[in-house]
Amino acid sequence: MSRRKLVVGVSTLSALALLATGCSSGSGSGAGDTKTITIWTSMDQPVIDGLKAQLDPRAKAQGITVQWRKVDNLNQIIVQKVQADDAPDIALMPQPGIIKDLAAKGKITPLDDVLDLPALQKSMTAGTLDVAKVNGKIYGLMVSMNVKGLVFYPKKAFEAAGYTAPKTLEELNALTEKIKSDGKTPWCLGIESGTATGWPATDWFENLILKYGGVAKYNDWISHKIKFDSPLVRQAAAQFQKIAFTDGNVLGGRKSIASNAFGTAGNPMFNSKPGCYMYQQGSFITGFFPKSVQKNLDSEVGVFGLPPATTGGENPVEGGGDTASIYKDSPSARKVMKLLAATDLGTTAAKNGSSFISPHKDFPLGNYPLKTTQSIAKVAYDSTGFAFDGSDAMPSAVGSGTFWKDMTAWISGQESLDTALKNIDASWPAG
Amino acid sequence: MVSQVLSTILTVLAGIAAALVVYWALNKLAEALPGRWENRIKPYFYVAPAVAAIGVYLVYPTVITIINSFKSSDGSRFVGLDNFGKLLGTPAFRQTLLNTLLWIVVVPAACIVVGLLVATLADRLTPRAEKAAKTVVFMPMAISAVGSATVWRFMYAAQPAGQPQTGLLNGIVTAFGHDPIPWLQQSTLHANSLLLMVMLLWGQTGFSMVLLSAAIKGVPAETLEAARLDGAGELRIFWRIIIPQIRGTVITVFVTILITVMKIFDVIYVMTNGAFNTNVVGLEFFNQLYTNYNYGYASAIVVMLLIAIVPIMIYQIRHFRAEESA
Repeated sequence: MSRRKLVVGVSTLSALALLATGCSSGSGSGAGDTKTITIWTSMDQPVIDGLKAQLDPRAKAQGITVQWRKVDNLNQIIVQKVQADDAPDIALMPQPGIIKDLAAKGKITPLDDVLDLPALQKSMTAGTLDVAKVNGKIYGLMVSMNVKGLVFYPKKAFEAAGYTAPKTLEELNALTEKIKSDGKTPWCLGIESGTATGWPATDWFENLILKYGGVAKYNDWISHKIKFDSPLVRQAAAQFQKIAFTDGNVLGGRKSIASNAFGTAGNPMFNSKPGCYMYQQGSFITGFFPKSVQKNLDSEVGVFGLPPATTGGENPVEGGGDTASIYKDSPSARKVMKLLAATDLGTTAAKNGSSFISPHKDFPLGNYPLKTTQSIAKVAYDSTGFAFDGSDAMPSAVGSGTFWKDMTAWISGQESLDTALKNIDASWPAG
Repeated sequence: MVSQVLSTILTVLAGIAAALVVYWALNKLAEALPGRWENRIKPYFYVAPAVAAIGVYLVYPTVITIINSFKSSDGSRFVGLDNFGKLLGTPAFRQTLLNTLLWIVVVPAACIVVGLLVATLADRLTPRAEKAAKTVVFMPMAISAVGSATVWRFMYAAQPAGQPQTGLLNGIVTAFGHDPIPWLQQSTLHANSLLLMVMLLWGQTGFSMVLLSAAIKGVPAETLEAARLDGAGELRIFWRIIIPQIRGTVITVFVTILITVMKIFDVIYVMTNGAFNTNVVGLEFFNQLYTNYNYGYASAIVVMLLIAIVPIMIYQIRHFRAEESA
């Protein structure tokens, strides 16, 4: 008897509990006025800390609590979470291609009536507002930018040897030859990046295609109006091959490229006898340099942008960035989005010495404590056009699939260039 | 954090309670039936929720997956056998199948051989040494596959020549004056796949050793003694007496590892993500689904895996039943 009572008692209690948990998990799904907004991002912790320091108090003033969460492998997790209807309110994605995919499926809120777009158009670096545009609507706001196609060099050794920054790609090749004829190794090159191995090679390609073809052709290429198996891409491949496959050009030779981690590949530059004299990477790579170099960045590291194809010609710059989108629409999420669009949002993040670069042209250069960062930001703000990282903007089957994999296969000698280019073209999703 | 823990605990409690309520209600319902029917219906009432759960979580997804395998990449229209045809027509996917086959052929057999070797040899040690040896062999079982793959990356890591090597193998190779070898890129004769298999072997041998060791110890000492008295050598005893007696266990271990290997994903995902021709079916499925959003391909791959795995499962169940009844 008493046993039966117990069962009834427990079950009533737990039915109540079920109701209670049902309510608490329901409150996250954004029906109306959530006062807590979750932001997921894969940015570096110092950047998050800097943005947080300015965003959180401003949100608090409007009665909104912001919960930041650093999520590794966000690209894949966000897709799973959206499918499971368990997405965060806002996520800062490094790959607009994924934002576009999800936007086309109606999973993301357009920002056209959330943000003051004409004002942003003036304040932001040309092209940065269009990175997540689908059917004329803007689905993402770039909050933090990085600049790619930068060539870093060990300042002291480079200058001591009398080398200077080249003005064209021809001059870059001449410089490579000169360094080699001085008995040194010109380049460091590494494309290993765990499950994302290959992306640094796609960066090389994108930059060269951008320099040879300009922004218009570049955009045709990333939307597959120009195929991979095309003269433009082959021109870029030839230039890459000249640098990467020529004997003596790369530290460790061709066979070391695919197993050399991109984060540490450039570090031999800073050996007492430099292992190499140039390393092409994005602005964030300074954070991977040895601690002793990071401490004296301005005196140890020099940087120039990959030069244009012809002197004085169009010189667009390639970059990436973390782009904020609303995955769960609510008035609070929209308010936080507006706060994310403020030019001065990045002041703390810039001043704390993180890798942060503001996508806003009107962001004062003086906010960056380092000359190195100032010159990197200037490369972007002065560019004749800004192109988003192409592999990140392509459909992910290509951008984070075959483009990475087939480039790796080509570089490591498993595939010919012909096969690689044809494979990538074949993997482009139909329609 | 606290609220998350609390809501998790509450959810678990609520789930258990809900199950209790369901059974209590069904029991009540059965009791309300006229006498004879109560006993006839009751077993079904108790089995039904479990069957329903299997239906919802196993049968339904399987059916949906099979249907999806005949649909286009976004699941919007039917394309017949297109997905299967295109997949099997791609050289890269055929290599993926071949790699999976290699894993299936090599790993379970190697696990048995090494496990058997360790079990037999350890059996001859003093009890204390046996314990120590077995503990060492078994230890990797306690590490998750992703964790051990992360560790094993340092085995195979390669830095350019002249730079300090972080990888153990290349540390040794360069110490002898050779250039470092990018191990995981050695796709000739699928050497890199074999290197990845070594890792899984390292992880799974403990499992095979423990079961086989127990079986070997179960071989009656009298039989062995009788054989020795008859003048049989140790090798002969091993092949003619021990092996036939532990045959059942060998098959069980083999099939269990075989099924693990067919679903292998994490080791390769962490080490190479399928680059340098090390791709396998489980990983290709994941990449088609979560990188390429190609639901059609992903489903077709799973269906192929299902077709391959079902006969093995049936064999295992039959074998298990035979063992039970023996």
